[in-house]
Amino acid sequence: MTEVYVEEYVVKGDSFLEVGEASTKLKGTLKMLGIPSDVTRRASVVVYEAEMNVMIHAGGGVIKASISSDSLVIEAVDHGPGIADIDLAMQEGYSTASDRIRELGFGAGMGLPNIKRNSDELDIETALGEGTTLRATLRFERG
Amino acid sequence: MTTGIKVQLSACRGCARCIKVCPTEAMRVLDGKVMIIPELCVDCGECIRKCEDRAILINEDNWRLLASQDSTLIAADPAFYVQTRGYSCPEVFSSRLKEAGLEDITPWTSLAFDVTAYAIAKEIEKRGPEGLPLISTYCPSVIRLIQINYPELVGRFVLVDSPLETAVSLWREDTGRGDDVTLIAPCPAKVALVRSPEGRPKSSMKYAVSIQNVVRDLLAGGVEVDQPVEPCGGDLRYLLWSLRGGESKHVSAFCNRPIRTISVAGLRNTMDLLRELELGRLEGVDYIECRACDLGCIGGVGNLESRFLTHLRLDHIDVEWTMTDQESEAVNRWYESEIWKLSAPLKARQRLPLDQDLGQAMVRLREMNQIYAELPHIDCGSCGRPSCKALAEDVVRGNGEATDCIFKLRERIYELAREVAELSSRSPHAFNRKR
Repeated sequence: MTEVYVEEYVVKGDSFLEVGEASTKLKGTLKMLGIPSDVTRRASVVVYEAEMNVMIHAGGGVIKASISSDSLVIEAVDHGPGIADIDLAMQEGYSTASDRIRELGFGAGMGLPNIKRNSDELDIETALGEGTTLRATLRFERG
Repeated sequence: MTTGIKVQLSACRGCARCIKVCPTEAMRVLDGKVMIIPELCVDCGECIRKCEDRAILINEDNWRLLASQDSTLIAADPAFYVQTRGYSCPEVFSSRLKEAGLEDITPWTSLAFDVTAYAIAKEIEKRGPEGLPLISTYCPSVIRLIQINYPELVGRFVLVDSPLETAVSLWREDTGRGDDVTLIAPCPAKVALVRSPEGRPKSSMKYAVSIQNVVRDLLAGGVEVDQPVEPCGGDLRYLLWSLRGGESKHVSAFCNRPIRTISVAGLRNTMDLLRELELGRLEGVDYIECRACDLGCIGGVGNLESRFLTHLRLDHIDVEWTMTDQESEAVNRWYESEIWKLSAPLKARQRLPLDQDLGQAMVRLREMNQIYAELPHIDCGSCGRPSCKALAEDVVRGNGEATDCIFKLRERIYELAREVAELSSRSPHAFNRKR
């Protein structure tokens, strides 16, 4: 089966009230398709954290979810400042979020580590000043 | 599956108010009458609150019939004891009930709540930080909500039986009696607890009636239950379970270490909290207590008294959190007997996907999105569904037509009218040709 189902969510910058919308929508979609609940749970986390990252650091972007017969690929694309040091960004607790963001209870430096923990494959392309593309793959049967 | 709520079709005029308040979108109005999708209903009773025609009711047993027996055995929800001014002391209240031919198993109820709180505390202590927070199984609506909408969280339930069930089990063990017991319940969810319990094959109780029916009957029967009673010295810890946070306090009192608990009441708060938990954002929390009703069980739709007044009463009772040696000994003994344990794990109850085959499901989901895109997105409810999304879903599942939407219907009528007009403008020509 080569059928692929794609859904796109636009994430606006600084939209704290809307954050979480994409993950809720994706969760609904995965349920309708009968995707295993473990994948649904992990996908919600990945998309939520990606939404937060795109909103806080890049001033907005697009999240795309592609569902095929054996896996779900989540792609978050933004044209923000890019990540200067990926290894550092992957460390738990490391964050470049501003004080204002931290005061709101976000920016705890758990985003990327959380995404990594919940996906089977993670690939990040980033260029300073140009933006970041994050691609997380979740397989339906964890091998 | 729903057993806590029933619809009286003759009283329903299809106003569709109820479908808008249902948190799980489990209701539809078809052919002018309301219907409940049983797999989605969590028995929270929001629809009962909203119905102005009393067409949706608690599916309870006939209290008149039960009370007319020589002696009726009752196990009462803690919310029952704060419904009138005289209820601040369950023991005094029990003797009043006796006059009315009701035998209350209250000393065992009180013990059962202690055993339950102790068992929960032990379960929390057994788990490592990865397995926490655990979720309370006290509110049957919350159990169902998680089974249906948050299936990923079912593993977090603390597998401790409802203290109301345990109370009856304790009483049976202690007295050796086998009489039928009637639960006096504050809400349809607890009625459902008796009708179709979770985690055990059968309830230890046989009947369930709402608090309001019993209290009304007592007041009407002239039983003196509304006279203020001096607060008694007995153990009132368990009464607080009917108030948001009461369970957490009780559990904390039995824990060897300070525990971090979150207590929320109301479905909106419950759903927000569960979502945060699902996203893994509640680190460092040990126990979560959710109640479907505002303020806790005193907010249940089956109560008689104002929830604000009962809140006031509960706020003013003196509660002793330290146990006497005798109490501790009894709790320990029953804990060891494992009478509090749920016999079966709680399972997820996921919604049916659009199709069992993923490829077909994708086709139908696209179809659904297409239908949804053409609907007006104002969720007016005129089609008998709670939202345009729900209508689109019903259509692809074969349970409706897009023209159930009043705006789509108008469009269709307009198109038809145009066609008719066009046809009518052609008729003279045809007429001529015929000749």
